[in-house]
Amino acid sequence: MGHAIVLKNLKKTFGETVAVRDLDLTVPEGALYGVIGPNGAGKTTMIRMILSILFPDHGELTVLGRPSALEAKDRIGYLPEERGLYKKMRVGDFLVYMARLKSLDGNVSQRVKEWLGRVDLADCEQKRCEDLSKGMQQKVQFVAAVIHRPDLLILDEPFGGLDPVNQRLMRDLVLEEHRRGATVLFSTHIMTHAEQLCDHVVMIHRGEKVLDQTMAGIRETFDPHRIFFVPLDPDSDIAKLRAIPGVRSVTPDGSAWDVALDGHANAASVIPALVTAVTPSRVEIRRPTLEDVFVSIVTGDASTAVDDDARLRAALRVGGQEVQR
Amino acid sequence: MKKILYVAGREFTSTVTTKGFVFGILVTPLLLGLVIFLMPRYLTKAPPKVEGQVVIIDPTGVVAESLAAHLTPERFAERREKTKRDLENATPSVFRRQAAALPSGEAAIRQSIDTALGEVPRLQVLPLPGGTSVEPEKEALKIALPKPGTGPAPRLAVIVVRPDAVRPAEGTDTFGSYELFVRNKLDDRLVDDLHSGMRDAIVAARLRESGLDPARIKNLTSVQRPGSRTVTAEGERTTNSVLNMLLPMAFMILLLMSVLTSGQYLLTSTVEEKSNRVVEVLLSAVSAMELMTGKILGQMAVGLLVLALYAGLGVIALVSFATFGLIDPLLLVFLLIFYVLAYFTFASLMAAVGSAVNEMREAQSLQMPIMMVLMIPWILWLPISREPNSMLAIVLSFVPPLGNFVMLLRMTSQSPPPMWQAWLSIAVGAAGAYASLWFAAKVFRVGMLMYGKPPSFGTLIRWARMS
Repeated sequence: MGHAIVLKNLKKTFGETVAVRDLDLTVPEGALYGVIGPNGAGKTTMIRMILSILFPDHGELTVLGRPSALEAKDRIGYLPEERGLYKKMRVGDFLVYMARLKSLDGNVSQRVKEWLGRVDLADCEQKRCEDLSKGMQQKVQFVAAVIHRPDLLILDEPFGGLDPVNQRLMRDLVLEEHRRGATVLFSTHIMTHAEQLCDHVVMIHRGEKVLDQTMAGIRETFDPHRIFFVPLDPDSDIAKLRAIPGVRSVTPDGSAWDVALDGHANAASVIPALVTAVTPSRVEIRRPTLEDVFVSIVTGDASTAVDDDARLRAALRVGGQEVQR
Repeated sequence: MKKILYVAGREFTSTVTTKGFVFGILVTPLLLGLVIFLMPRYLTKAPPKVEGQVVIIDPTGVVAESLAAHLTPERFAERREKTKRDLENATPSVFRRQAAALPSGEAAIRQSIDTALGEVPRLQVLPLPGGTSVEPEKEALKIALPKPGTGPAPRLAVIVVRPDAVRPAEGTDTFGSYELFVRNKLDDRLVDDLHSGMRDAIVAARLRESGLDPARIKNLTSVQRPGSRTVTAEGERTTNSVLNMLLPMAFMILLLMSVLTSGQYLLTSTVEEKSNRVVEVLLSAVSAMELMTGKILGQMAVGLLVLALYAGLGVIALVSFATFGLIDPLLLVFLLIFYVLAYFTFASLMAAVGSAVNEMREAQSLQMPIMMVLMIPWILWLPISREPNSMLAIVLSFVPPLGNFVMLLRMTSQSPPPMWQAWLSIAVGAAGAYASLWFAAKVFRVGMLMYGKPPSFGTLIRWARMS
């Protein structure tokens, strides 16, 4: 299997600011990659370089086997973060125009109708773009990105500004494109989206790649070795659990207990012991969230000197503001 | 290439289908054209046939008769014929062809007069002696007109001649005049005829009173004014001074207007794409260069439409006034060439400005220097059209953005420059257009994705150097 995207040593600066430094990335064909990181991390710059909208200061890149996306434009679908429509143009006309620009021939308007039906906008074909709601516009833009059945689909913050129902619709559409065989690369600053969707995560922080792993690998590597334990009787003796081998510490966290395990201990062998010691109403192995992973990576890196963990988390969840230094 | 055409096509249709364009650029000139086309037709149309009575209260006793002679149908027809011929004689060159088609010779003129006789007013002149009371006579003017052909001839006018109209009152030097009372809604051409008839009649009476022969005086005082003829190495032609001034001006306005319109539309649509954030979607499908080229070509088509419309209008106007022969069709070809050159030079700068700013408001200041340059031809128009071969004119013909305008001015003037200068000016203009395109392409690529503080012109130049 070939590679849809290969980046080597990519670097881009804007004046004094280094947007992307020494970035290496390989995306195999047919993969579903998520690029995460807070706003201003360099995600959009990286994507723009992949698409040859911006050109790197140095480094090499290959897109769909070509040295520049310009040579493969018609096989790429792109939903930019800064997206818009011609206000006065009709939705149908806009999509036909975009499809033509992507060298789609044949019965384009038929294809446009089909797609509008799939995203619940069948009755909007004759409407002017400015008359659509923001969420509807976003769906139209998504259709514009995929109407020519691209081999590589690049989505920059595809879920921003959508309500939960449309987020789900968008997710299904992305997965459908992935199943069709398209390589999908999408960026988001909202970690849960990446968790739900992708099978491989690339994390970018301040222009540098800090993580490049499959979701399964991440769960393994960043396994917190913790168990979430809610005793059935709130007055149970916490010391009983502390005594169990493999348990490093137990800290009460509201009505629940947070059980931390030793590095070598196996949750599968510890849990039966916990359950026999204190009857639980709920026991659960804690999964690492991407948020945790991200924060642990960033705070673990001394050079970045992020002192306010909570602020960083808030930025990742809300994503509205750039992390202040 | 196909993509460029798609971009151009969208640019063109989205511009020409806006209400602003349709009303501002299309409907206005079409209305204007209609007026220009219909005016001469209306002017040469004969007035409606009038029949009626003109009462003249003449205390002098000598004016009424002359007036009656002046208002006979034959004299009317003769005068009409003469006006027609004078009018046509005043229009040169092409008219000559038409004149040949008109009947010539005494017999033909007679015949033409006879045909005209059917259409001229038929007026009865009813002289009344001096001292007749005016008020009762005026009463008849108030009676409604009967249907044509029925009843007695209606009274159309009452003329009261002053007793001292022919001979000054005792002890003075000044002559009296006359009063004219007319029916409501009387054709104003008839009123003019009455006035001129009265004038002629009174003048003739006064002359006779002084012992002079009116016919002889008329002969003595009339000097035919010939049109001047311009003598050149190629031969002689009739000078038409009004057109000599108007033609270069018309061409320059056409050129400026089409360049300005399409350049402005290009700026607007570029800013719109950027502020709408649609540009990045587009850039994922076409390269910046393709996008810019497509946009420039699309708006060029808009400019050509405007140009064709107005130039066509001009041609229609000239044809309907039977003066098309005054323009060398080759000039229209040069107009097209200079339009393309001037357009490319300005439009690419407009595209550069549009790509650099975030909103229309910010474009104003960057646009200023470009607009200033476009204003220079206006300032130069007079000196250059007066002296098309002065040193200033020759030098400016080869200064890129101005050369296109200056050269066109000179070529439409009465002493056009040698052809080699025209071709050289076109070559320099093309080089200028290319340089401007090159600059714009560089700025466009950087500018389209640059948001934030609007740049200065210096920044644009730095971008061009940078990329």
